Amino acid sequence: MNGSVILETRNLTKAFGGLIALDKVDLSIESGKITAVIGPNGAGKTTLFNLITGVYPVSGGEIYFQGALLNKVPAHKRASLGIVRTFQHVYLFGNMTALENVMSGRHPRSSYGFLEAALRLPKARREEEAISLDATKYLNLVGLGTHADQDALSLPLGQQKLLAIARVLATEPRLVLLDEPGAGLNTLEKRQLSDLIRNIREMGISVILVEHDMPLVMGIAEWVVVLDSGQKIAEGTPAQIQKNAKVIAAYLGEDME
Amino acid sequence: MLARLKRNWLYLAIAVVIAFFILIPFGWFLGQYTTLMIFIGIYTIVTVGLCLLMGYTGQVSLGQAAFFGMGAYISAILSRTYGFNPWLAMLVAAAMTGAFAYIIGYPIFRLKGNYLAMATLGLGLIMWILFRELSQFTGGPDGMSGIPPLSIGGFVFDTSFRRYFLVWFFCLAVLLISQNIVRSRTGRALRAIHGSESAAESIGINVTHFKVKILALSAVYASLAGSLFVHHLRFVSPQSFDFLASVKLVVMAVIGGLASVWGAIFGAGATRILSDEILLRFGEWDVIIYGLILVLVMIFMPEGLFVKLKEVFERLRLRYRQRGTEP
Repeated sequence: MNGSVILETRNLTKAFGGLIALDKVDLSIESGKITAVIGPNGAGKTTLFNLITGVYPVSGGEIYFQGALLNKVPAHKRASLGIVRTFQHVYLFGNMTALENVMSGRHPRSSYGFLEAALRLPKARREEEAISLDATKYLNLVGLGTHADQDALSLPLGQQKLLAIARVLATEPRLVLLDEPGAGLNTLEKRQLSDLIRNIREMGISVILVEHDMPLVMGIAEWVVVLDSGQKIAEGTPAQIQKNAKVIAAYLGEDME
Repeated sequence: MLARLKRNWLYLAIAVVIAFFILIPFGWFLGQYTTLMIFIGIYTIVTVGLCLLMGYTGQVSLGQAAFFGMGAYISAILSRTYGFNPWLAMLVAAAMTGAFAYIIGYPIFRLKGNYLAMATLGLGLIMWILFRELSQFTGGPDGMSGIPPLSIGGFVFDTSFRRYFLVWFFCLAVLLISQNIVRSRTGRALRAIHGSESAAESIGINVTHFKVKILALSAVYASLAGSLFVHHLRFVSPQSFDFLASVKLVVMAVIGGLASVWGAIFGAGATRILSDEILLRFGEWDVIIYGLILVLVMIFMPEGLFVKLKEVFERLRLRYRQRGTEP
């Protein structure tokens, strides 16, 4: 392993009452790579995302981002630090156009507030122009430039997912967490998605993705972490994981004895 | 070319509307409606705040009359009992009401949906009881009279004609400020919160902070309206701020189109005209009518009556134009 570590977890644990969703997980995510987190349903993948992005407080253990402890940082501040995510259920802002959705993503990279907005001071006008230009750039990047003024929810699912990615890219992140980006997409859309994810990596952004589509995962991931029942059972390159007996057992429910 | 022509028409339409509003209080025009229009202006100010809070941010307030009443009573008490200049009283009232909303905003926004609605309803009831029971300050259920009018230098706003322009000046300022907020980074953040709180938080929007701030702003609007209200009537009593008052404010916001700042005028206007001119005959039964309006509008046009009417108008215009181009 070379390269620096962007995100690290130590003994990361999350319990919901008596249910232990994540059990002492140690992770070390390399900077500038595409890492996939896979595992059967209920393995704790989404819980892991929720802990990293601060949706839930951790029950135990630590999360470090670029060497700094993240545990107590509120969710909205993690975005300005450079950690953003997409959601399984997309969660676009339905009351906005495609462009406005991406413009919202410029929030942590702009600063004018209530008063400047209320009086339309020069700072507000200047920043608003920049926000709109930058957002257009990110919309073009995911290939939705021609849909700028369309209502976000009127787009087909594949484009909605691309739009959600444009929205997080607009925050200028360092680490992007993609929660099942391929779910519900057809073959063509999946190919576009793979290209886009590689493109994100080329921009110097680290990617962690949770995904059930194995060909997609094995095609783009450089490192794969396998969770099962809240525990990390394996990690390695896609080739190593495909041969790993524990992983096969976890997926197929094979008896190990 | 066509765009410029269209723009010219728009300017003309705006000019006609402005002229209309300026001429309303003149006796030979619609002078008999001056008082009604003053109330519409005052309630529009409150409604705009409620539109920002409910329509844009998606947070219900069933207790907006609490802030309206705070503005009214603080203004009344400071200017009458303690001899403050009415303008200063108005400013202090707005600051105090805004600060109060800001402080209660943090605990109140730990709640969502129906629970938030209940909490704001409770807030409205508590304030109403305080207005009635703190009788050494507020005059109790009978209210207090003899509140001084607003004045600038020697120019006293002592006639409805004068107050009409005063109120609509404030109303227009509030509308313009709100429109600017809606079309800004802040406005986007508010709509993002309405769209999805999780997604908003995940792209760095401090959800609680924005909710609290918009509540405080809506409270400041309500307080300003309350101050204008008492300096217009020169009298204040708790009845104007009871639960029904809060419900009426919600009806105004809903009719006005929750996601339209200018619709607030329409909402406040329609509701005031309804209550002053028509529902008086129904006595206590008017509550049922308001409830019915609320339910029907929410079921059939959740985006608000004003927005719906605008849509219908657009569709009619389109159809008309298509017919025009046919051979």
